[in-house]
Amino acid sequence: MQCFIRTLMSAAALALLASCASTGENADQTATDVTEQPGVTAQPGQEAYSYAYGQAPGTYDSYDTSGAGGGQARQSWQPGQPGRPGQAMAGGSVVSADRIVYFDFDQADIRPEGQAVIESNARYLASNPRIITQLEGHTDDRGSREYNIALGERRANAVRQVMSAMGVPPQQIRAISYGEERPAAGGQDEQSYALNRRVEIVY
Amino acid sequence: MKSIEKLFIGLVLLIGMTNFTQAQINLDITKKVEGGGIPVAIAPFGGGAPEDFAGIIAADLQRTGKIAPQPPQASADYSVAGQASPGGSRGYIVQFQLKDAQGGQLLNLSFDVPANQLRPVAHRISDLIYEKLTGEKGLAGTRIAFVAGGGGAWYLAVADVDGQNPQVILRSGQPIMSPAWSPDGSRLAYVSFEGRRPQIIVQDVYTGARRVASAAPGINGAPSWSPDGQRLAFTLSKDGNPEIYALGLGSQSPVRLTSNGAIDTEPVWLPDGSIVFTSDRGGSPQLYRIGSGGGAAQRLTFEGDYNARPAVSPDGRYIAMMHRRGGRFHIAVLDMQTRQFRVLTPGGTDESPSFAPNGKMIIYSNGQQLKAVSLDGANQQDVVLRGVARDPAWAPYSR
Repeated sequence: MQCFIRTLMSAAALALLASCASTGENADQTATDVTEQPGVTAQPGQEAYSYAYGQAPGTYDSYDTSGAGGGQARQSWQPGQPGRPGQAMAGGSVVSADRIVYFDFDQADIRPEGQAVIESNARYLASNPRIITQLEGHTDDRGSREYNIALGERRANAVRQVMSAMGVPPQQIRAISYGEERPAAGGQDEQSYALNRRVEIVY
Repeated sequence: MKSIEKLFIGLVLLIGMTNFTQAQINLDITKKVEGGGIPVAIAPFGGGAPEDFAGIIAADLQRTGKIAPQPPQASADYSVAGQASPGGSRGYIVQFQLKDAQGGQLLNLSFDVPANQLRPVAHRISDLIYEKLTGEKGLAGTRIAFVAGGGGAWYLAVADVDGQNPQVILRSGQPIMSPAWSPDGSRLAYVSFEGRRPQIIVQDVYTGARRVASAAPGINGAPSWSPDGQRLAFTLSKDGNPEIYALGLGSQSPVRLTSNGAIDTEPVWLPDGSIVFTSDRGGSPQLYRIGSGGGAAQRLTFEGDYNARPAVSPDGRYIAMMHRRGGRFHIAVLDMQTRQFRVLTPGGTDESPSFAPNGKMIIYSNGQQLKAVSLDGANQQDVVLRGVARDPAWAPYSR
């Protein structure tokens, strides 16, 4: 019975969160986590839990703050090790090499090999108008985090322009920038930096 | 007898030091004696309270860079002694005295507190001593917000400024960025990618309640509070490229303040209502200033090839920033009065500076850990937290 009530409360909190997130209005959004219990898995789709100061379940040490993924480790990525091409992870899914466009340092210009990647994907999208693609722009981790968000968007927009020129309608393309927040490779070396300066064509 | 007493005090200090190692604050006694600062001898507190008062106070005072804590028997300009014992109406009575070398009493106070307030009271005592001896407001009782984790699990957390008592107030499966305290210290604005799109969210720290402030198409980034706490400035790209906007908290429609084909981002308010931000309109990222309603931008930085992420001191005199020269990122500060430009840190991957509420220290990140540096660069500190910590924001005094 108690468990049932807990499930109900959890569902209500989720619905509230979902409604606010989908409208994006300035509505009051109370997402305080009243249901979270040790050993209870988070609801699928619920990505964020807020807590009043001092009320989070468990101590700070019980959370994985290592930066390695909080238990949902991304298989291709080990801290301190460079990643491999074609193994970039977008939100937990593998993006294959033929959907990744790489960039030079601090640049958003499309290189010839990137042009070929965009064109092959653009041809596919143009002939499959029901498929919506998300262009995810990324940077290496040098420089300001917020400036890198802007730089990642500039890269995604550069890819979008090539796709549009090839006839992919605007409503078929979405763009988002993660800046340096979702690196494909964790190393502090030129090879890792190069792998991280990228746009992933996700669909 | 004397040597046994010494040994005992040494032991107490050692126990204190194991606490420090946990917070990675090294209190090297010999260094302390040689180091600068006002010498203050601190005796272990008797009374059996479950906190090492002398250790906490010594670490707090050491961190100021202006006071040099000494062992109790050292000859020092000032001495601190106290007692923390069960009793009073709330659980514990904590009392302490600060005396000068002649034995004159400068402070003599007692506190009646519950067990969970023992550590905050130790910080309060540190601040009282610091304020008495320097005439400046102390920082020992302040807090910091920061982003922890990454790679699949992100956290927004608030900790005491010594890195102790970290508390998670948000956890997410998507990135969290750029926390900013409201001027009254009750709320944090930040960027959250939950739902796989960036939004600016305002969260009440003490209830956990949240409100979406902006979820426009494209970038929603870099929130900053106006000095009166009534408006937020942030970055939106809904009109094609990143521009600075300001939003009244009761309003639904942000007002655009910049209009330029380049990247404009990272707005922060000066006390007079004008806004400093990062722009690459001149070719490389540099800091610019506009009026409260926008208008012509005045370039502020000319040193190095990359100046970004400005932070404004509480009195508006200094602007801290990340500054690149020779391929390395440093924390630098621009004196708005004299136009003097100073590089404060040895550099590497330093980023995200934030001023202490007394304007004397700057907290920043090297992308993995938090560090602090004094405004003159002389005092450098590590604030070590378990795991990855970045994007620090030093809370204001008010709470």
